Amino acid sequence: MAYPQMDADLLFNLPRRHSGANLALPLAAGGVALLVAAPLVYIFLRAASAGPDAWQRLLQSRLWLLLANTLALALAVTAGALLLGVSLAWLTERSDLPGRRWLRALLALPLAIPAYIGAIVHLALLRPRGGLIPQALASLFGQPAPLPAPVGFWGAAFVLTLFTYPYVYLLSGAAFRTLSASLQDAARTLGRTPWQTFWQVTLPVLRPGLLAGALLVALDILAEYGTVALLRYETFSSAIFVQLSGRYDRAAASVLSSVLVGVAVLALWLELRLQGKARFTQVEAAWRPAPLAALGAWRLPALLLALLVVSASLLVPLGVLLTWSVSAFMQPGTLAQALRAGSRSFGDFAWNSLWTSSLAALLAVTLSLPAALLAARHPGRLARLISRFCQVGYAIPGVVIALSLVLLVNRYLPFLYGTPLVVVLAYLLRHMPQAVRSSEAALARLSPSLEEAARSLGRTPLQTFFQVTLPLALPGLLAGGALVFLTSLKELPATLLLRPAGFDTLAVRVWSWAVEGFYVQAAPAALFLVLAALLPLSFLLRQEPIFR
Amino acid sequence: MSLLRVQHLSKRFSNAGLPAVEDISFELGRGELLALVGPSGCGKTTTLRLIAGLERPDAGEIHLAGRLLASAHAFVPPEQRGVGMVFQDYALFPHLTVFENIAFGLNGAPPAERRARVSELLRLVELEDLAGRYPHQLSGGERQRVALARALAPQPSLLLLDEPFSSLDADRRREVRQQVRAILKSLGATAIFVTHDQEEALSLGDRLAVFHRGRLEQIGAPDKVFHEPATRFVAEFMGGSDFLPGRAAPGGVLTELGLLPQAQSANGHSRVDITLRADDVDFALAESGNAVIEERFFQGAFQVYRLRLDSGVALHSIQEHTVLLPVGARARVFIRAAHPLAVFPRREPGAAASQ
Repeated sequence: MAYPQMDADLLFNLPRRHSGANLALPLAAGGVALLVAAPLVYIFLRAASAGPDAWQRLLQSRLWLLLANTLALALAVTAGALLLGVSLAWLTERSDLPGRRWLRALLALPLAIPAYIGAIVHLALLRPRGGLIPQALASLFGQPAPLPAPVGFWGAAFVLTLFTYPYVYLLSGAAFRTLSASLQDAARTLGRTPWQTFWQVTLPVLRPGLLAGALLVALDILAEYGTVALLRYETFSSAIFVQLSGRYDRAAASVLSSVLVGVAVLALWLELRLQGKARFTQVEAAWRPAPLAALGAWRLPALLLALLVVSASLLVPLGVLLTWSVSAFMQPGTLAQALRAGSRSFGDFAWNSLWTSSLAALLAVTLSLPAALLAARHPGRLARLISRFCQVGYAIPGVVIALSLVLLVNRYLPFLYGTPLVVVLAYLLRHMPQAVRSSEAALARLSPSLEEAARSLGRTPLQTFFQVTLPLALPGLLAGGALVFLTSLKELPATLLLRPAGFDTLAVRVWSWAVEGFYVQAAPAALFLVLAALLPLSFLLRQEPIFR
Repeated sequence: MSLLRVQHLSKRFSNAGLPAVEDISFELGRGELLALVGPSGCGKTTTLRLIAGLERPDAGEIHLAGRLLASAHAFVPPEQRGVGMVFQDYALFPHLTVFENIAFGLNGAPPAERRARVSELLRLVELEDLAGRYPHQLSGGERQRVALARALAPQPSLLLLDEPFSSLDADRRREVRQQVRAILKSLGATAIFVTHDQEEALSLGDRLAVFHRGRLEQIGAPDKVFHEPATRFVAEFMGGSDFLPGRAAPGGVLTELGLLPQAQSANGHSRVDITLRADDVDFALAESGNAVIEERFFQGAFQVYRLRLDSGVALHSIQEHTVLLPVGARARVFIRAAHPLAVFPRREPGAAASQ
């Protein structure tokens, strides 16, 4: 009995005082990691076994084009989101921008709006023929006014930037807020002008936050299906979707997926490299917030920029959805259609959305606990490895999860096939990383001495967990759950591909109606979806450094 | 000849609030170490930041080496002042190594020269081995020395240190303090440092300036400030002062311990307090004495006794560590000081014991 114990201690780098640790925790954590990582491994296996002719076909025809398209869009949107997010964060955190308290909240809220709903609204407003704005301009001036249509590369880049910049905005805003003023003072006394200080000190110190935000944006773009499909710009995700739903060529889909996942893994690796050794945890005793910069004559242009962004990404979409919903309710025929699709009613879509997302959130938080506990209490190589594995979902776009689950479930879990549980499983696998990160952060903040105190007062490890650890970590765990719920609610491609026939969620209904051009009909569902997403988002925003 | 001249400097942060700094004037000679000391919120850090150019004065002028740095009409930004600063939190750039931090102020110099200068400073602060480390990999004392080296690298004509030792724990502090003073003295640097620790100010500064509520209460050599406090606040703040009430009389001050000729009456006030420190007070056991031994504090090299005079006033007396006298015994207290004693007008009743 003594030998395995010793081995375990060495392997997990257990501190001496944690004698008596058993193998249950690492085993559970490892099991979860395997479960989560399995779909990824499976995709690579399938791609490898696809045979040279499938590769050949794709290499000759579209692979390079798709790669160029995808990378170009990811780069453009990441750059745009960085520019917009950092400048807005600076304006609301570091300058005397009027109304910054309100803007701070409003600028983060577009996270509740799925990009494809934003794309629907902007398309309806701007498209050259039949768009609301061109029509209005035409009736105003008596002749058609040429406006750029929000389609293709620039359209997709525009819409996706508008709905992903909040990642960068939130992370760099948090970084601006914790930045100590003395760093900038020090640069000034060492001969730097304010402008040089910003580039040589402020930005580099913000780098971890900026990179983390940029990574989230880039991974989001790689996984994006609805927006690019709607705006007719072909990327890996949309091509895989077509292969899966239309042509049903699983070999080709596997090859495309493995390349896409490869790109995502590259992005993750790049971020890890760029973060480098300089981990900037540097809040010291004498931390002092910097004084706000006076914008002077720039106050008005800056305010206009912020208002423009808030309008385009939040107010206009909400307003349009609201108007459409109202007009849907005014017309009995449309209303009946909006609240009903075939034999299903509005309540069914809403309920399906809510229960699948909630179940995914609950499962994700529960399953994240072993890995998080291991990482927080027994840090070491193995804990780090398991934690990384639990986070591979970041790198797996929804279409790829769908492909992998279609194949895996068909072959190994046929009883799940055709049930909504496959959808839940997809949400779980894809959004697990957010739960793992939140739980790890929540548990790491708890001092081990609290648990030790409970043990010394006669509690067993299990009692300690339920009576001390869990209640204290609960806010952090809930934050992770809220994040999983939010992103699951918005998830479109995996839901479309995996849902059993007749199983509609809000996202699915909005999408199906919108691609057929029934915007007014889709509006109530879209509005409800956004409102349901605002709830967990506002909870998250209240406890700030969540996206770390 | 003075290097730094500060004249009638004032600064307030909000229109309603008290001024952070009001009408501060002093001069600083080349190679001099000046300590600004006072309780927190007294304006000492603001004064430092005004000199560095990190704040703009509302009124007053600052001249450095004959050059006007700040006045009602002129303001030289910090990067053009040639003033180095060591920050309380050190403000080491977390994204740069020790080497790069020290080299930060040397931009413009040719690379070879930069390298040589950084190596020289690393040697000076004895951190040659840590050049490649990042700030978070350093101990508190090491960070402190990197911050010092970084501030010294561009050879500033004046070095400012804001609470430079406050983040160090007590036993490291004494050691680092002596190191830093030795480094500054070996370079002949002119420096101002801020501290709230009187002992630090006394042992480190060539002169010290005591701040209170935004005003400069007294500036002078440490022993002078300690023994001849200009105000009651200075006497209290510089430590260990007891106040013995008395009445002005011809040839001194009349107290319950008799006529004290060392005390000179203050500005014609008749009711006064005399400042007494533990080394000014002596006593002997005497059944018919005027006090009781209330408590004994063993301080290692010496003993400090607290004596309660029959009037209720408490005085402290320092004795050799071999002098062991019973607590509770009666004693006769007398004043052994040969130097003049500082006298202040009597504080209104409440704080001091009544007679």
